[in-house]
Parts: sequence; structure tokens; C-alpha cells
Amino acid sequence: MVAECVTGKKVLMKGNYAIANAAIKAGCQCYFGYPITPQSEIGEFMSGKMQELGRAYVSAESELAAINMVIGAVSTGVKAMSSSSSCAISLMQEALSYATADQLPVVLVSVMRGGPGLGNIYPSQGDYNQATIGGGNGDYKLIVLAPSTVQECIDLTYKAFYLAFKYKNPTMILADGLLGQMMEPVEFYDYPYPEIDTTSWALSGAKDRSARVIRSYAPLEENQCVFLDNLFKKYELIEQNEVEYEEYMVDDADFVVVAFGSMFRNVKSAVKLCREKGLKVGAFRPITLYPFPSERLNSLADKVKKILVTEINMGQMVRDVRLAVNGKVPVLFKGKGVGAMIDVETLVEEIEKQMGGV
Amino acid sequence: MATQVFSIPKSLKKDVKYSFCPGCDHGVAVRLVAECLDELGLKENTITATSIGCSVGLYDFIDIDAIEAPHGRALAVATGVKRANPDKFVFTYQGDGDFASIGWAESMHSAFRGEKLSAICINNTTYGMTGGQLGPTTLLGQVTTTSPTGRNIEYYGYPVKIAEHIALSEGTAFSARVSLDSVANIRKAKAAIKKAFEVQMKGLGFGFVEILSSCPTNWRMSPQQAHERVRNEMMPIYKLGVYKDITA
Amino acid sequence: MSHIVIDEKRCKACYLCVNECPKKLIKISNKTNNLGNRIVEFDDPEHECLGCAMCATRCPDLAITEVYKG
Repeated sequence: MVAECVTGKKVLMKGNYAIANAAIKAGCQCYFGYPITPQSEIGEFMSGKMQELGRAYVSAESELAAINMVIGAVSTGVKAMSSSSSCAISLMQEALSYATADQLPVVLVSVMRGGPGLGNIYPSQGDYNQATIGGGNGDYKLIVLAPSTVQECIDLTYKAFYLAFKYKNPTMILADGLLGQMMEPVEFYDYPYPEIDTTSWALSGAKDRSARVIRSYAPLEENQCVFLDNLFKKYELIEQNEVEYEEYMVDDADFVVVAFGSMFRNVKSAVKLCREKGLKVGAFRPITLYPFPSERLNSLADKVKKILVTEINMGQMVRDVRLAVNGKVPVLFKGKGVGAMIDVETLVEEIEKQMGGV
Repeated sequence: MATQVFSIPKSLKKDVKYSFCPGCDHGVAVRLVAECLDELGLKENTITATSIGCSVGLYDFIDIDAIEAPHGRALAVATGVKRANPDKFVFTYQGDGDFASIGWAESMHSAFRGEKLSAICINNTTYGMTGGQLGPTTLLGQVTTTSPTGRNIEYYGYPVKIAEHIALSEGTAFSARVSLDSVANIRKAKAAIKKAFEVQMKGLGFGFVEILSSCPTNWRMSPQQAHERVRNEMMPIYKLGVYKDITA
Repeated sequence: MSHIVIDEKRCKACYLCVNECPKKLIKISNKTNNLGNRIVEFDDPEHECLGCAMCATRCPDLAITEVYKG
């Protein structure tokens, strides 16, 4: 039984249900999905709720079909989404490339599990590269938002719908199995963003106007170059306007630990313990994985002596941190292939070890 | 006083010029679709999902809102359009490779779900745009650029009979196979397309028409010879007819 | 008087119409259009055209744009 989401009332809720409820409150009219652990609760919840509300729900034949159904729905200016996980997000890469080229406001939730291949259903952060670099063809970017609490699952689901429509770009909420499955107290509120007018581009039938075509086929070299130049002007704008991050005790820090998503929770606790021991440690969390907070990390590197990146993967975001820091200070990495977040004690040990000599 | 008995359908773009090869039946099929849109008054309420292959150019010819689906995904995209907008008329126009090979799952499941969509599939027994390779509908014995000694069962298996498969689905309201090899058959083809459109308009289920078409370029034949091949080689295997019509 | 109108610019010289006309009133001309195609022409000195529109129905390229009957 999922708690009822009344605005202003605190309820205990799983991350997956928080995302689903937020999507409904954001005005999502269509959900298309295919089951995969650890995100199946999203589709399960949507199947009942969307029918109850007279909105669209399709139990698609595959993730391939599901994401293309989202493309169809959003091409008409309607809010629509899908959700999936790791190996099944792989199946959607082609469509994400198309949706980016078609400039469509697709919203996709990715609840990461272990990989590569079938992997397992433990939490993981192994799809950072899949989300931010992508596996589709051509030059494109997804906007990627990474929550670290169940409350943030709500906040960033709202934001995902807004940014997708504001920039007409596919937007991904990148959570992990831990966040999807764990319960935390959350508070719902009404969708806080303005509705974006879609009447200038959405397909609605060519009545009293010329026909519209949403396409990516561009047979001429010149046209495709102009298109890509414009697409990347949009990305510049996104990079200027939408970078979001969280800082914890970085003001006087000599040493900063960088993590995203669930991993940041333990990092924060470790930093607190280190502070009690008198170590000047801070923590930094990119909330937008694209656009990545490169500028802020670069300026932090002017003040700190070392940066430690921790991820539940073999070292993915660490590359972006290194690019951002550009050699100013050493960027170290502490990772773990898959499963439970690196525990606080191990983190404190690692920080103490690495701070030796700082 | 002479009365006009033929004109270019209004649903086609003004001064449209097809990019199809000389003698290709795609041109006739597109015109029939446009004629049906005209006659059913659908043009202003229609959204189409096009596919990849020679059929992709539909949006350059017909004056309706369109979205270009990835290869094989036209019916998934169309499902999304229709579920979000149940009052719109939504159809796909696909080749046999798109519909029955790379998109078979999407095609069959749209029929299984009984999506209120209409799908037109051009069957010319080959991948046309990429230069005439073996496709799902390539006939046994047919020589293509990827079946240089002809389609044999051991290497390639059997050709797909699309209209029959679609007719097996309980969600299908109409499924037919027609041909464009003769004027008489062109007229029957138009009637079938209209029917596939009407079952959607009435909300009865999935409407489907498989259209046997010529590909003179890749068959290395004159347009006239290509129609003879449709008649003599395709039609005995791909038998014309209505395989399902719940309104009959 | 039954007759047809041919848009020469659209003709791709497939000549399907030539064979289709029951009265054999469409002929291959000596003219070439901007596509480089040796186009067809409607030649009906005896006013035999039936206005059956078989040619227009057959034409895959919309080159026969109008047909009149009567």
C-alpha cells in the first residue's frame, strides 16, 4: 500500500513510489514501461494510478518499444515518461539519440543495478557513463539529474519534466537500487514549475497551419552542420543555466570528497566524523551530472590540496572530476564494483590515509 | 461538358515530386493513401509515424503532421501518439523490412493490443533503399545482393506471410493483402486502405494492409516486367485477399 | 470531350501508361524533360479517349494530373 500524497503532509515512502507519484503530480499523461528490478514498482504503481486517472498506461512489449512510445506521445506536446534499469536502458540508447536529434522532451528514469551484462540487482552507479556519455550514435547530451534522498526523487522528478520541456531535450533521472527501494519520510508539494507552451512545435494535425515534420534525417552535409551548431548552442545554454550541486563543509576544507547519488549519504557522515577528529574535510555532490559542475570543482581545486572521488563503480565520474580540475590537485579514487555503498568507517579510514601529508 | 474524373489528391503537398525510382509502386501507394485521407476528411486530424527505408519520404509528399520513427519502431511511436491523443487519426506507412523484420515485435504487439491504428506495409520482397538485399519477404529462389544464389531454406529460412499473421491476432479488426500490379488491383487496394482507416475511425481495432509492390531497380527489370513478376511469382505465394474483417 | 493532362516535369519515362491505355493514345515522344527523361505525350486526333483514368491510376509519379470524361 502506497501512502497517499497529499500536499504538505509528511509520509513514509519508497524512492520508486516517490518518483511515480511526483510524475503524476507533475502532469505526466502517459507511462510506457517494461518490468525490470529494481524499478518495477514504478510501472506497477503507474498501471493502477494512470487508469484510475484516465491517463495512458501501456505495458510495452520491450523497453525498445516503451521508449519509442514515449517519443510518440511527447511529439504531441504531452508529458510522458518511461522508467527502467541498466541493461534495459542499454536497449533504449538508439531512441535517446533520436529523441535528442528530434528535440523531444522525453523523461526517463534509470534506477541503476549491477552490470555489465545482466549483472545483478544490487545497487550500483555503473551507468554514470551510460547516462552522461550515452550509447547512442552521434553528438548529443541528455540532461541527467541524480537524487540522493527520497525527497530529492520528488524534487528532481518535477525538475526533469520542467527541464525536458524547457530545453526540448531528453532528461534522465539517474537513481540507483538503494534509492529506489529504501523508504524515507517525504513531503509532497504541488508541481512548482511553469507549464511550457508546446503549440509552436507539437504535432496536432495540420489544421489552419502547414504540416509539421519531426525528423532527424538530414541528407545534406550543410544542413546537418547547422543543426548540430544550433543543438550545441542549446547545450551551452543548459551548461550556463542549469548546473546544480550540493556542498558540505567545503569552505575551509583542505580535502574534498566528491560523490553523487546514494553514495553521498555515507560521504556526508564520514566528513562529519572526520571533522570531529579535527580533519578539515568537505564534501561535494554534483546534482546535475550533465551539465556537470566543472567550473565550481575547478575553483574548489584552487583551495583544496586533494580531491577524493568515491563511486559504486570502477571509476566513471572521476574522469569528469579530473577534466574539471585539470591537474591542479591530485584527484584520487575509491570505488567498489557493485552493491552496498562504501561504509562510513572505510571512508574515514581512506580519508585519513589520503590526508596523511596534506 | 466534360467532368473531371481524376485529379491529384489534396492531401498531397502542392507541386509534389516523388523521389522514387521510375516505375516504383510506392508512388501509387502514397497516392492511394492521400486519396483515402481526402475522401474520409482526415487530413487535418492526422499524425503519421513514418519508417526507415524508401517509405521514409512520406512526409515529403503528404501534407500531414509526421514523426520519423527509428527503424522498425513506427508502430511503437504511433502507439504513443494515439494513446496520448485518442481523438487523432494515426497511421504508419512502412516497408516489409521495417514492418516484418526489425519491427516485427512492435508490429505484432500493436495488433495483439488492438491498438486503434492503421498500418500500411509495402511488400516488394527486398530491402530497396540499401540496394536490394534479402529481406523477410524475399521469395524462395530469389536472387538478391545477399542471396547471390537465390534464397534457400537452409541458409535463409522461409519468407514471412505478413497479412496472415496479423489476421491471427484477436486485436486485429482488418487485415488484407492487395497488389498494385494492375489497375483493377489498384482500385481494390484503395478500398482495402480505406477499410483499414475506417476500422480505426470506428475504434474497432488494428487495421492492416499489406501491399504487393514492384521494385524495378533492385529486381533489374522494366516496370512492366516487374508487374509481371508480382503477378506470376509473388501472388501465387502471397495470395491476395481479406484475411480478417470484423465488419464483414 | 474526354482527355487527359500530362505534367511533363513529373514524367520519369516508365511508360506504364503507354501500355495501360486501352486505346493506345499515349505515345513516347521525342521530347526530353529536365530530368533527362524521354517523356510521353497524349495523341488523340480521332477523339477516342474514354476518360477511363486507367493511365492516371497506373502512373506512379502523378504525371497524369487530370482526366476528363464526356
